[in-house]
Amino acid sequence: MSFIVRTVARTADGRDIVRPKSFDKAELTIGRSPSSDIHLPDLAVTLNHAVIRAAAGGYVEIAATAGLPFVVDGKQSEHARFAASTGADVRVGSHSLEFEPGEGDDKGKVVITVNRVGAISNASEEKEEAQVFSLGHVLPGKRVMAWAGALLVLAIFLVWPLVSIQTQPVDNTRKVAFHADEMWTSGALSQVHQSLENNCQACHVKAGESVRDTACVACHTKVHDHADPAKLIEAKGSPGIVGGIKQAVGGVFGIQPGRCVECHTEHQGKTAMPVTDERFCTNCHTGMSGRIQTTLKDATDFGDGHPQFEPTIRFAGAGGLPMFRRVSLDANPREDNGLKFPHDLHLSTTNGVAQMAKSLGKGEGYGAPLDCANCHTRDATGSSFAAVKMEPSCGACHSLAFDQVGGTIRTLRHGDPAQVVADIRAFYRAGAPRAAALTGMDRRRPGDFATNSQRITFAQTSAMHIGNSEQAIRAVFSKGGACFDCHTVRQTGNPTTPFAVTPVALSKRYMMKGWFDHAAHDTETCVSCHAVKGSKLSSDVNLPKLAKCQECHGGQDAHKEVPSSCAMCHDYHRTAFAPLMVRNHRARGKAAEHIQEKALKEAGTGA
Amino acid sequence: MATKSMRQATTGRERASEHEGFLRYQSYKWLKIALAISAVALLIYAFNDVQPKPNGGSIYGYITGTVGVGLILWLAWLGVRKRAITPGRWSLKSWTSAHVYLGLSLIVIASLHTGFDFGWNVHTLAYVLMMLVIASGAFGIASYAMLPQELSANRGETTQIQMLDNLRMIDRQLNEAAQPLDAEGAAIVRMALEDDPFGGGLIARLTGRYAKCGTRTALDAVRADHVREEGVADPYDHVEVLLERKKSSLSRIRKHLRLKALLEVWLYIHVPLTFALIAALLVHIVSVFYYW
Repeated sequence: MSFIVRTVARTADGRDIVRPKSFDKAELTIGRSPSSDIHLPDLAVTLNHAVIRAAAGGYVEIAATAGLPFVVDGKQSEHARFAASTGADVRVGSHSLEFEPGEGDDKGKVVITVNRVGAISNASEEKEEAQVFSLGHVLPGKRVMAWAGALLVLAIFLVWPLVSIQTQPVDNTRKVAFHADEMWTSGALSQVHQSLENNCQACHVKAGESVRDTACVACHTKVHDHADPAKLIEAKGSPGIVGGIKQAVGGVFGIQPGRCVECHTEHQGKTAMPVTDERFCTNCHTGMSGRIQTTLKDATDFGDGHPQFEPTIRFAGAGGLPMFRRVSLDANPREDNGLKFPHDLHLSTTNGVAQMAKSLGKGEGYGAPLDCANCHTRDATGSSFAAVKMEPSCGACHSLAFDQVGGTIRTLRHGDPAQVVADIRAFYRAGAPRAAALTGMDRRRPGDFATNSQRITFAQTSAMHIGNSEQAIRAVFSKGGACFDCHTVRQTGNPTTPFAVTPVALSKRYMMKGWFDHAAHDTETCVSCHAVKGSKLSSDVNLPKLAKCQECHGGQDAHKEVPSSCAMCHDYHRTAFAPLMVRNHRARGKAAEHIQEKALKEAGTGA
Repeated sequence: MATKSMRQATTGRERASEHEGFLRYQSYKWLKIALAISAVALLIYAFNDVQPKPNGGSIYGYITGTVGVGLILWLAWLGVRKRAITPGRWSLKSWTSAHVYLGLSLIVIASLHTGFDFGWNVHTLAYVLMMLVIASGAFGIASYAMLPQELSANRGETTQIQMLDNLRMIDRQLNEAAQPLDAEGAAIVRMALEDDPFGGGLIARLTGRYAKCGTRTALDAVRADHVREEGVADPYDHVEVLLERKKSSLSRIRKHLRLKALLEVWLYIHVPLTFALIAALLVHIVSVFYYW
């Protein structure tokens, strides 16, 4: 068998040049060695790589000579046989050797077409310039990444929450856990609403609908409206251009003015709910009297636009009936509390009262001229004062003792004129010579009755002046008598109970529409606000006027010692308690002064 | 910035052009506009007392938010716009100049829109994505300003194809020179021939470090294993010279690739993140109106 080897070479312009060579021998050598019959200038081929032999029966045999394999029809081997008539495709290194039976003149010969199929080097392989030199070669396409990223964001942050919203129950069976819609939160909820943190739908009830008041009052069942809602809208007046546009735009989206969330903004972080801004009040209260029928005076700012205080004053109405009315302090109101009490006399530092208090000494709880605290004591809340009680505060000096039986002192029943009359009559009915101390307001030193000698000496002396029971009764209820000096006494004309005492009513709370916290003013003395040292009459209303407060307090943005927004003294929702701001402030800062709402309620209900 | 360095680069025989880059287009017209917009936004923010604290839900927040989203969509439109080249007032250069400066003004507008109220939510995600897009854009501008000069210096007078042809020529010569070598020598040379100059991943491209460089390994092997005699012709001598040439040719190509990668890589962040940003913006808006 003879072979024809056709070596194909490619020119620079891509043309093929075929160089045929005939071999009339039964064995051909293949290798990189230039002496090989089939010379393959291929570094992947060894110098003597393989031999091709003509085998019996029209077969062709290939055998490796250096132990390196070749590929025959896709199969790697070191020794292969195939029929010359069918031919084969042999790969050695980067070269292809195609075996074909010869045709025409070459019939009976085996034609081997040698062709370089692999490039000389990696760099020599065909490269798409625009591709390989750009980063696109090593990265996924921008378009692919863009779509993948966008879809990923939509899947996680839009589809997941929407599915979560649609599939989660909205009632109490909703689990307290992470819900995908939390990724939409615009900020943490305030401390009081922490429990709603994973329950967006508690407030955001309907998709696309702003939070409604119904969602708030579902839990806050005891909240009062500030006033009639229709009147509130009226009180606001014209919203102005910006406000009007805002309202109109809001209306398009179903947002009605006056919603809870207008003031109670949420998602402001895990803090206490912010204190209502002054403007929420002044929006309406500035010039409000011109817009609606109201007895309320306009207020713009505590520092420069607050009406004078109008405490609730008790006065005697028609027929002597007690009535209450709010009167401006500018009108210098007089209060009718039924008492006769000169503050100046009691607070003097030089007069007899002062001397007596001084001489009593600290052991008796005095030792100095009287001060406010000798009579006035704080109530349970600490923010206001308990009503002065006669027995501990007045009775120490103004004793109602009139007799002694053994070691026991008998006193007239305070607050019960009929009983007083009866007791005196019984005392005289029992006969002399027991001494009585009924001359009235001859001052006794507090505690004098504790010493027997004093008591008896005094009682005997006083008894000398009193003849019979009727005289004694008249003395007690007349000028200079025990009752008369403090109380307004009138004659009844009834011989059984000839005298009656006008009832005393002390105001527990003057500022019914606002709130004043005495505890917050502990840094001050009483008299720095209450001008009581010059007060001669119990009808004096010794409340400080607005200007006194303004010495320290200014409006929310004032450069005063204590900038004070409306919420410091007033609460929007009607309650008898301290305003929320005061309560919050107390609860946060001073645990000891924590205000109990119950106590507040008791203290805050007024006269 | 970009144009300045370009001008410095065009010296010598080349004539300095009067080229005006997109950054200083029309004497920084868009920079001035962007600064004016930012200043107005800042001024209003400073004097606008939003209660209880500044947030995206205020009137100011809605306005800056609307302006911001409009700007973002317009900026993203550059990708469409740049495929249509038109001259004139709204030329691509003008458009690109506006893209850069208005894009930077978003830092002010969007930050003020947030009221600096951030959290782990989709709203902050949109903001972060936007800032990353802007940062990658800024990186792109810096690249465009600095790298072309270096790229040009590295490439010399050759084109990419010429660089590649040079490499191919060396490979052909290496192939020729290695023919007399034994199997072991051939294998060493093949390491160099099989070297893919464009191989290696993103990291290799950006750093220019190719740990598995076949040419370097081959050169080391040729130098180490073969003690050659003085004055005696040895095929390895020629191979070594060729390997040396290939190495330097490769290093030039790889530096070219690194510079090109640095020039291009920002777009691979800028563009996909822009799409993610638009998606996040969509969610941001939908969620705000869904739960508001």
